[in-house]
Amino acid sequence: MKNLIIFLFIIITFNACTVTSHYNVSENLEFKYVNEKDRKTYELFGKEQAIKEIKVDSVSDNDDFSDEYADEKDDMDPFEPYNRVMTSFNDFMYINLLNPIAKSYATVVPQDARVGISNFIHNITFPIRFANNILQFKFNYAAEELGRFTVNSTIGILGFMDPAKESFNLEKREEDFGQTLGYYGFGQGAHVVLPIYGPSNLRDILGLIGDNYINPLTDVSSIDYKIPDRPEKTLGITIFSTLNKTSLNLGKYENLKKDAIDDLYPFLKDIYTQNREKMIKE
Amino acid sequence: MIMKLILPLILLFATSSFAMTKVNIKTEMTNKIDKVLIVIKDSNLSKDEKANEIISLMNSAFDYTLMSRLSLGKTWKKISKDERIEFIKLFTQMLKISYVDKLDLYTDELVKIIGTEEPKRNRVILKTQLVGKDAKHDINYKFYKVKNAVDTWLIYDIDLIGVSIIKTYQSQFKGFLKDKTFQELMVNLKTKK
Repeated sequence: MKNLIIFLFIIITFNACTVTSHYNVSENLEFKYVNEKDRKTYELFGKEQAIKEIKVDSVSDNDDFSDEYADEKDDMDPFEPYNRVMTSFNDFMYINLLNPIAKSYATVVPQDARVGISNFIHNITFPIRFANNILQFKFNYAAEELGRFTVNSTIGILGFMDPAKESFNLEKREEDFGQTLGYYGFGQGAHVVLPIYGPSNLRDILGLIGDNYINPLTDVSSIDYKIPDRPEKTLGITIFSTLNKTSLNLGKYENLKKDAIDDLYPFLKDIYTQNREKMIKE
Repeated sequence: MIMKLILPLILLFATSSFAMTKVNIKTEMTNKIDKVLIVIKDSNLSKDEKANEIISLMNSAFDYTLMSRLSLGKTWKKISKDERIEFIKLFTQMLKISYVDKLDLYTDELVKIIGTEEPKRNRVILKTQLVGKDAKHDINYKFYKVKNAVDTWLIYDIDLIGVSIIKTYQSQFKGFLKDKTFQELMVNLKTKK
């Protein structure tokens, strides 16, 4: 307990502080002065990464875009043949099954009710966001999520409404375990397209497993608050939440698809990768 | 009294046709986006009319030549001047269609202007947010300072939920040109709807 308090104290005091090395210690325990331009500054437990080197912008009048749009080397894609097949399968399932069902569901259930269901599902998966914000030392965001959960579960009638946002201005702070792993410096690993779920990668699959462990809407692990107790129930909940989500985003996938020049798989892969990179940086 | 009201209006119209300066990126863009939203929600206009209105509102803010060059990457240097002009034309057309198509989908959503950021010299990012039914989406307009011009800023890329439009096209063109020719790409862009 004592150790934990000391640990938390250190983390909180060092939260997002910077460290600059002015001296180098040699093997003989001698201090060596480091020239100003060779000094390195690190940010510890900051928002983007656990340890991140801060680069000082050299003052040059560089209008060149080559560093922003450098031709990236082709990354390894060991699962490409499988990924391509799965992308076509997912596309077929979306267009011919999920989308038509979601469309008829949207005509039967009014939009307000569907938004309410979406709010309810989001609210109940609070432990995922809370835990991952803590793991990334984002204590203020974790507190904000806790505030949202408390307000929305009570005043917001079990989370169907979102008074936390509307009246208290508490924002959603989306974090998942894949992002936490990214924060700690895990690379994304090979790209993998999952059935129905869509694009992912090895890091984020590991993240999904971690999140499902604490997600109240799955039956894996035996934490007390778990709602489903059998895999069929978990599956049912997942299908329903997917359907509900799709009904609130009708037409967006088809629209996005139009931006693919000729090949859908690398296009979706690229978008997924760029989007995840951004989410990890936040 | 009347002059007090008219003067800002004259100033507004006088400046709106020119490119933006650094300090007024935020106000100009807020202005433009507000106008775009009014056009989108106008039920009297047909889809084509809306598209034309929106494009004429936003057109002056974009540097289509630079966007074309960046998206084509290394291939840009290998093609002739005429091919470049033809490519700029097709690419610009495609960007416009894609932009208007997207707006069409987000009619009942709200746009929040967050503010500007300077990631480095000669770059400004305008951060906005599209507030939808069940989620928020970040849209960042990326500006650069035009070289050899006095305080003139143009958009060279847009990030949608962290996805750079130009980077996405860049990798798509690169993938396409790996086993096909530039002429085939042009045919593809021409026939694309």
